[in-house]
Amino acid sequence: MPSSIDTSAAMLKKTVMIAIFAAVAVVLSIIESMIPLPFSVPGAKLGLANIMVLTCLYFLNGKDTLMLIVLKTILTAFIFGTFSSFLFSFFGAIVSFVLMYGMMRLGRDFFSLISISIVGGIGHNIGQLTAAMIIFKTSKMFYYLPALLLTGVVTGIFIGLAVKYLISALSKLTLFQGWAVHE
Amino acid sequence: MMKLRRGDILLIGIVLLCAIIFIIIRAFPNEVSDESHSKIATITVDGKIYRTVELTAEPQEIKVQTEDGHYNLLKVHDHGIEMIDADCPDKVCLTFGFITNPSQTIVCLPHRVLVEIENTNPKDQGDDLDAVVN
Repeated sequence: MPSSIDTSAAMLKKTVMIAIFAAVAVVLSIIESMIPLPFSVPGAKLGLANIMVLTCLYFLNGKDTLMLIVLKTILTAFIFGTFSSFLFSFFGAIVSFVLMYGMMRLGRDFFSLISISIVGGIGHNIGQLTAAMIIFKTSKMFYYLPALLLTGVVTGIFIGLAVKYLISALSKLTLFQGWAVHE
Repeated sequence: MMKLRRGDILLIGIVLLCAIIFIIIRAFPNEVSDESHSKIATITVDGKIYRTVELTAEPQEIKVQTEDGHYNLLKVHDHGIEMIDADCPDKVCLTFGFITNPSQTIVCLPHRVLVEIENTNPKDQGDDLDAVVN
């Protein structure tokens, strides 16, 4: 039964890849927390972990990426979170994922990875603000959205570039050959 | 170096335009909150009012103690308030800076601490477009 061996090998490969991507995403979150930002916009961050989410979205499918996001958010919450901060970042991550997945599926001819990463970053901010709005029952937090839009564009451009370089480097590995479904 | 596509430029343009429009709109109204108005800050923890404090010129410190043993340290001075210390994991609350305006807030998501400013002047401009439901 060579075909079933092939599929289980492919499944295994995929599982390992998700696990590695999630681990790298968590490490990137830790590194990010050590980098001081030159501007103080509440809620703004570099979003380095988004590099792995976008790369995963590029090489694997939406279901696998969702798995990566759940893993990454839970692991990050265990390392430096409380239950509340887990809820907020999970909500942000889901909004970010849905938007990036939609753009990856529908808008690849029109948008490059830069746009997708900008939308992902801003989606994360909007998701968190919305979660905060629901929990605190006030929409005043949206006062900080314009500043977050500006920082989101800047960080999104750099994250998108990083993803572009990472994808072209990974595509040269035999491990990733035949995985790039999107181009 | 990667080339930007038409959609990218459009998207970046729209986002920047939105941000600039928001900032311009916000710059015009409710600039009434100067020192002549007395203001109070409401500190809420997990939806319940923890304390209200008058925003005085004299400095004073308020320690917010959450039920699970964590703290946020707030400082009132010059008719405003700022978060100066907290033992939350992400320290995002410290990046809100010194706030003086009713449209501004300080939020500590991990501790569910919210600081809001209200004008106590009886004929304030009613610039609270946002309903605050407690």
